[in-house]
Amino acid sequence: MRTFWMFVCSIGVLFAGEKIAVIDVSGMTCPLCTVAVKRSLKKTPGVIKAKVKLNTHKATVRFRDDLNTTRLLEAIKKAGYEGKILSVTPADKP
Amino acid sequence: MQRRDFLKTLSVAAAAGLAGGTAPLFAVESVYESEAKISREKRRFRVVYDFDIQNPEGKGPYPARLWNPMPYKAPWQNVRILRFEGNYDRWNLNDDNPYDVDILYAEWAKSDKAKKLHIEMEIETRYRSVPIEAIETASKRNLPIPAEVRRFLQPTPHIPTDGKIKAKADELTRGVSDRFEKVKRIYDWVTKVTFRDPKVIGCGKGDAGKMIESGYFGGKCTDISSLFVALLRAAGIPAREVFGIRLGLSHYSKALGKADAKGFADITTWQHCRAEYYIPGIGWIPSDPADITKLELVESRKYDDPKVQELKRRYLHSWEMNWVGFNWGRDFILSPKPEQYPINMLGYPYAEVEDEPLDYYIPSAFKYRITSQEIEAK
Repeated sequence: MRTFWMFVCSIGVLFAGEKIAVIDVSGMTCPLCTVAVKRSLKKTPGVIKAKVKLNTHKATVRFRDDLNTTRLLEAIKKAGYEGKILSVTPADKP
Repeated sequence: MQRRDFLKTLSVAAAAGLAGGTAPLFAVESVYESEAKISREKRRFRVVYDFDIQNPEGKGPYPARLWNPMPYKAPWQNVRILRFEGNYDRWNLNDDNPYDVDILYAEWAKSDKAKKLHIEMEIETRYRSVPIEAIETASKRNLPIPAEVRRFLQPTPHIPTDGKIKAKADELTRGVSDRFEKVKRIYDWVTKVTFRDPKVIGCGKGDAGKMIESGYFGGKCTDISSLFVALLRAAGIPAREVFGIRLGLSHYSKALGKADAKGFADITTWQHCRAEYYIPGIGWIPSDPADITKLELVESRKYDDPKVQELKRRYLHSWEMNWVGFNWGRDFILSPKPEQYPINMLGYPYAEVEDEPLDYYIPSAFKYRITSQEIEAK
């Protein structure tokens, strides 16, 4: 029975869609700020990849579409910064 | 080029300082070397950097790029010998940035191999002091500020010159027209209200705007120097932070630098930010308001303590040179261009693995070590 449920969950993960969110991050003032934001985002279950740029103050996050984007903003806040979702689009197939 | 002009100006100021003797000492308990004795010092240090740049992901092949700040050349500091070796794929020595910051750049292609760089420098330093009388005389002449220095009146993202900074500078210098008198008013206030907060990571971010907005004046050397610089710029005095590293024993207090009995010190985390202000006719004047607060904290002394006041008097116009300066760049872009920019300051080694900066506040993870061996004292 346990094996069956593990199989069902795995199928669910395999077929879950992915999205890309672009987030405006305010309060970053140095390169190390991008590390704090990136690490906090990557610790969030459902986040697949995160890229954070200081010069544009933007985070680009690839995540499973069963993850609510408020979790992304919470992760950014936890790192000490403020985020604002600019766009969420379906991700291309990797 | 601007850099050459700066060095000429710096040379004049230093020559005046070295030739002009020192101001009279206060009658305080002599538990530290007198300024007269320290000012004759010429010191040499063998400084060694060892980098073994790690993959922040922990495993797998990775590329790496490193920008290491190097000492600038001036009459009070000189790199006599420079050697470096490593398994990098590309390197250069450049100052291709708006502040002419000297950088040793190394780059490693993507691979599993360890990324290593070993740098050795023999650095000679001399006590730097500009006589108070010379500063006062130059200040009274009220000469125009040279065009190449006017950039150090401009704000940067971390050094605003408007809002509360401007209001405080106006309040502190109200009714004062003499530039050096303005400096003294601002220096008095900064050294009095600021304090060293040991919880601040590294040297602090040096965000003068945030400090004055919050009204919390606890910080470390970059924070305190940046507040000093922002207020001076807002008062019309060119000023800049100078990033560098302590090299060994201070003859004033072990709070300001120490070494073992053989003159050896692990200086990996000894980065220290000082400040300079500019008075036309005499040039850049060294100052270090942050070390006043460090002495207070480490030796548990109050602001009015004679030893604190004596250091405050000295550090209005001098630097003990158990330290070497790297640069005065703020909020600028390194060359070759990194993935993350602009950089807040370059007092620490800066490295990236792909788009991720390595945490230079954690040398054991980065990974790097810096040591200094004093090899000669005159």
